[in-house]
Amino acid sequence: MNWLLPEYLADALPAEAAKIERLRRQTLDLFRCHGYELVMPPLLEYLESLLTGSGQDLRLKTFKLVDQLSGRTMGVRADITPQVARIDAHLLNRQGVVRLCYCDSVLHTLPAATAGTREPIQIGAEIYGHAGVEADLEIIRLMAAALEGAGLSAARLDLSHVGIFRAIAQAAGLPAAADEEVFALLQVKDIPGLQAACAGLPEPYRSALLRLPDLYGDASVLAKARQQLPDLPAVHAGLDLLSALAAKAGDLPIGFDLSDLRGYHYHNGVVFAAYSPGYATALALGGRYDGAGEAFGRARPATGFSMDLREVARLAPATQVSKAILAPYGGEDAQLAAAIARLRAEGEAVVELLPGQAGSEGLPCDRRLVQQDGKWIIAAINKD
Amino acid sequence: MNGITIALSKGRIFEETLPLLAAAGIVPAENPETSRKLIIGTNRPDVRVVIVRATDAPTYVQHGAADLGVVGKDVLIEHGGAGLYQPLDLKIAKCRMSVAVPAGFDYEHAVRQGARLKIATKYTKIAREHFAAKGVHVDLIKLYGSMELAPLAGLSDAIVDLVSTGGTLKANNLVEVEHIMDISSRLIVNQASLKLKRETLGPILDAFTQAVEKNA
Repeated sequence: MNWLLPEYLADALPAEAAKIERLRRQTLDLFRCHGYELVMPPLLEYLESLLTGSGQDLRLKTFKLVDQLSGRTMGVRADITPQVARIDAHLLNRQGVVRLCYCDSVLHTLPAATAGTREPIQIGAEIYGHAGVEADLEIIRLMAAALEGAGLSAARLDLSHVGIFRAIAQAAGLPAAADEEVFALLQVKDIPGLQAACAGLPEPYRSALLRLPDLYGDASVLAKARQQLPDLPAVHAGLDLLSALAAKAGDLPIGFDLSDLRGYHYHNGVVFAAYSPGYATALALGGRYDGAGEAFGRARPATGFSMDLREVARLAPATQVSKAILAPYGGEDAQLAAAIARLRAEGEAVVELLPGQAGSEGLPCDRRLVQQDGKWIIAAINKD
Repeated sequence: MNGITIALSKGRIFEETLPLLAAAGIVPAENPETSRKLIIGTNRPDVRVVIVRATDAPTYVQHGAADLGVVGKDVLIEHGGAGLYQPLDLKIAKCRMSVAVPAGFDYEHAVRQGARLKIATKYTKIAREHFAAKGVHVDLIKLYGSMELAPLAGLSDAIVDLVSTGGTLKANNLVEVEHIMDISSRLIVNQASLKLKRETLGPILDAFTQAVEKNA
């Protein structure tokens, strides 16, 4: 049984691998056209730097091992975003706006609830150094474009704002120990659970926390939130920002869900999630995480998004991929070699038969090179 | 599938969900007790009911194989509930999760700090968290049914189980010594369904909410 892989790890076989690779190139090209520079952080880092500023959930998700050179604990990254924040804050150390993107495998100790893998391929883009709503808008548009490029419509882009929850929790004097519990209950809209957890909190903040799970839907949610949520500057600021974003992105299927604050706990402003038909949870996630760079020496405004390329590839419609051309073994035939080189330069795949290899059995070819009147031309392969 | 799929388990949950469905204008076409079908149509062409094992309902909804489900809080805690919305306590199929021991067993003495106890249960997560909070070490023995037998046959010191009327405990000479939590059924909703099928799901959720409030 030495062919057996550990649970929730899989090989990508040719058809799937081709699809993943096509989408990877296409998405990275999209990022490049928008001015995002590709970075490749290492697979392993010291645990402290990987987990800086993130929550307990990322700690549990991270595989750990001991570095033989330093004796320190290293982690296999479970999320690339903190690594990219470190690169921006410490290594590049540029002033002004920096746009970075990445695409690499990450490892999770446990698979996410509905995911079939412990090794997602995280692809994403981040903007550093701009605190305005325009940067968030650029990221949201890029997220929508990346999904559309994969042939998936983002049927719904839900916006939320972590600052609204934080402001209410702070005004209510929610103790730090209960903060994580209430945050988790909000994520699953567990209203009965929230009623129990918020029982001792002062009004109007208690009712406000209980209303957050119901504040989801179209633009009318913002008007409702203004009426129902307490009169706190940070609540107003959050709602104003969401209104501004929605107004600027009128062409996208924007929705709101004020209790949908998912992410890795480092988010502090607007957060967004893209939903697509046929997928049980959010397909792409992102948001603002100003200050994540502080632990690396420089707090910077930051916003970005990422998604799992494996899941995107699984959902994306199949596209017609042209098959290869079969060429006979040429030996010293210069004319054949030239014909093959020309076809390859045009982007065609040409498979050369090796001596003793006969037929096109099992090869991904639908055409063959044949010699006719002294010239090499392409003919269809007749399957019989 | 553009319609709505509701995951229900046979028995008490199905029976007690019927009035709530009726409030939302949904009437299943068949009764799962008499029909062997696993997919049951309703009076509405866009709504169907799938009959699942109680413990499987969260899994169906989590993966989006069903949009809505009704599940006991006990099952939901054991499942973990990750990735599910659980907005409404339906206040049906009520019972309680309790610790029970054979009559005459000195439970108070047995659970002093630092003690070690053998517990038979189907609900290992609830039992583990309950005794951890009390500071009592437990050896959990996972069983799938007839929990009451375990202490009588010498398999465990105590059991953690659902108690409805207490009749089964009494018939087996067990006494309820500690109340862990009240249990009732929750409505669970798939995350993407709530976002993408809001027009159809919204009215059903509102009808459920109103029906629950009216019964309270």
